[in-house]
Amino acid sequence: MARVNGQIWETRPLEFWDRAKELRAGWEQSAESKEKIVGQGHGAWAGAFPAITIIEDNPRGSTIAAKDMPFARTARLASEVRGWGRELCGYHGVLWGCQFLGQNPDGTPFNNRKLVVPMPATCDQHTKRGIQCRDFEPVPQWQGDATVYVGENDFDREVEMVNHRVYNELKMINDIERIFGQKFDEDAMREIVGLYSKVAEYRAEIFMMQMNTPAPLSAKDLYSFYTLGGRLTIDPVELEKFWKLVRDEIRWRVDNKIAAVGTERFRFLEAHPPQYSFLKYYRYLEQYGAVCVGSQYTNFTAAVYERKPNGEVAQRETNPPRRQIGIEEFKTREDLFRRTPELNIRGPGGFKSDENHRPYALNEFADMYHCDGAFFWVWRCGVGCTMTRKEQAIRLRRAGYSVLTYEGSAPGDPTDLDEKRFLEQLDAWMETNNLVKYEN
Amino acid sequence: MENFKEMIANRHKYAEDWKKRTGGMVLVYNQPYMPEEIAYAGGMLPLRMLPEQKPDVISAKWLYGCCYPVKNMINQVLSGDYDYMDVYVYVEDCQWVWNFHELITDLKPGLLNHFMFFCDHPTAPTSKYVMRSEMQVFKNKVEEWTGKEITNEALDHAIELYNTNRRLLRRIYELRKVYDMVILGSEMMHIMIANQVMDKAEMNGILEKLIAELEEREPFEDRIRLMLVGSELFNAELEEIVESLGAHVVADETDYGSSYFWNDLVPQKDRLLAIALRYLEKPRSAMKDSNWRHRLQHIFEMTEDFMVDGVLIGKQLVCQPHGSDNYAIWKLLRERAIPFHFFERDTTLPIDETSVRIEAFLDMIRPGITRVRGWNQPLVI
Repeated sequence: MARVNGQIWETRPLEFWDRAKELRAGWEQSAESKEKIVGQGHGAWAGAFPAITIIEDNPRGSTIAAKDMPFARTARLASEVRGWGRELCGYHGVLWGCQFLGQNPDGTPFNNRKLVVPMPATCDQHTKRGIQCRDFEPVPQWQGDATVYVGENDFDREVEMVNHRVYNELKMINDIERIFGQKFDEDAMREIVGLYSKVAEYRAEIFMMQMNTPAPLSAKDLYSFYTLGGRLTIDPVELEKFWKLVRDEIRWRVDNKIAAVGTERFRFLEAHPPQYSFLKYYRYLEQYGAVCVGSQYTNFTAAVYERKPNGEVAQRETNPPRRQIGIEEFKTREDLFRRTPELNIRGPGGFKSDENHRPYALNEFADMYHCDGAFFWVWRCGVGCTMTRKEQAIRLRRAGYSVLTYEGSAPGDPTDLDEKRFLEQLDAWMETNNLVKYEN
Repeated sequence: MENFKEMIANRHKYAEDWKKRTGGMVLVYNQPYMPEEIAYAGGMLPLRMLPEQKPDVISAKWLYGCCYPVKNMINQVLSGDYDYMDVYVYVEDCQWVWNFHELITDLKPGLLNHFMFFCDHPTAPTSKYVMRSEMQVFKNKVEEWTGKEITNEALDHAIELYNTNRRLLRRIYELRKVYDMVILGSEMMHIMIANQVMDKAEMNGILEKLIAELEEREPFEDRIRLMLVGSELFNAELEEIVESLGAHVVADETDYGSSYFWNDLVPQKDRLLAIALRYLEKPRSAMKDSNWRHRLQHIFEMTEDFMVDGVLIGKQLVCQPHGSDNYAIWKLLRERAIPFHFFERDTTLPIDETSVRIEAFLDMIRPGITRVRGWNQPLVI
């Protein structure tokens, strides 16, 4: 049952908002860079090369789908007629459709990718992402691996897994040096690793603070900037400054009870990406005093939280660090690339593996974030966004949470989104929770 | 010829009888990279789960958007078809099956189970050692389940038995490499599937007897020769449709088909490393064909070796790995002017619709009018 206590909190616009928009716009432009070699992939390592930019297809695809639906449809069709599965991730169909069509939505030529690094992930679609570039024309490609295992920590097993992941990274870096004639700057990489460590600390703190009532941020805010430094690779110095700015502002908002939604009285969680072209549904639900506090997908990208036996919420340590040394002590290239896998060898970030190995993880999330309900998009396309969703809904309902699901095509494909029906369904969901719209 | 179709139909009874007879444990798996030799050496019977369409009031409650094989599997397991299963092993591959593993281990808490990691990048030098360590973990697990140590002698025996099985299957499979073939595609598919739900010691005897019979058989008439590519097939319905339309299926590149037995395990002193290498080097499943495209070369070589006139690409609905590979496969086939027909399916096959489509494809192949030119021209929509 939702809380109806009449409490009104102060709310204010986010002060870092404009900076977030600037950084995002800068990233969008970097995809069209003519000065740098633009590749498909992920990771901060590209910043240690003087002239390589790595762009991920998901954010580009979702932006195009949200801004120009007719063109996005044409692009998806261009992918499908070439054999790309119509039930695959919509982002990919859109972006690589641009590649096949040879143009961006504004008519400018598509900047073909010059190298490909499919993303190691537990998600099938991520693992095979971007290989359309390599299929399209002969550009270099490097594959990594997302090692996963379950059960007790097993250091013997991890030795081989870490070696494997380090090898894949070093092979890629060494090959890029050879193929593109650029020197990988290890000092720059050391700095990047240090800055990203700070960013991870800020993000972990922010998503811990998000557990407060009132929630300082809503998912609507998060989806506009949470990928900065994740899927969106930008200047690490600017990135660290930005996330510090966010952390400081959120800390201030929590200290002063500044809410994302001033009328907060119903908190809900989500699981994976929403329909990116229709984020306004978050604003619509705010009329009921409902706020989306995020999801594993947004909140657990820097740290995965759990409730400890003593009742406290703290980070889950899936892999106790084996080397208690600082970044400054990483002397070699290999040291630098060992750091990340040693910390998360059992799976990237942990939150994706949760879906496969910790079926009650969302119940735990709902508890920690003091949720009243959950809203799940169930997508027909993109296995990683859909798997386990129905069973999660059942588990949450059994635990007493109010759960609504809405079927759609893909986060990057609004073709069959019936906005009116969707909003009516949200109305019904709110009404079943005894919530009525606030006037104005 | 033995009735392999019947063996498939009676697979559950076979497993139950095997348990009663031997007192051993039945290990069920689904994904293509399962190192059966280790389980067999531990005295277990490894069986592959075959998705089968049955009245289903279960899967829709628990799963959304996933492929039909997984829906069928959850329906079969929760409705009791696999109650004799002692252990379920998921070797990391397709994510829908991962979902299945997560779901049944949650809903059947007493079921012994194991998650085995398998590299997405099978050709890295380090992959061999990662998989060797996974084999060690799995061996320990089997020993824990059975309470018996797996000796080198037991591993050697299992390796030899499985290699013999592969050689026998290849010997039968290759009978279709030539004209005057003496075995039909549907028969071969039944053999390959039955082989995956039987004890290999027993199956090898059946296969040896079959080879002797086939050597005396009159050849079938030569017809249009097709190859199957794509998602898993769990029966021979498609082959039977093709044959009813006057053509032959002479080869396949599917996980339940030829990919299961294509390469031998090369023995060496470190048995677990040898097993790891065999599975790393087997024909790739679509999910593991990530670092470069190994499937393309393999498919092309098969089209040449088996004198293929055309390719049928059947994809299970919402199969992500195959949906990601088809662009490259279509491109390859077009580049080499090999006619192909693509269609989507689930675990059932609409006979009339499929027949019409395949018949049209055969009508195009006969006079050589399949249109493969122009594929690389700019697309105008």
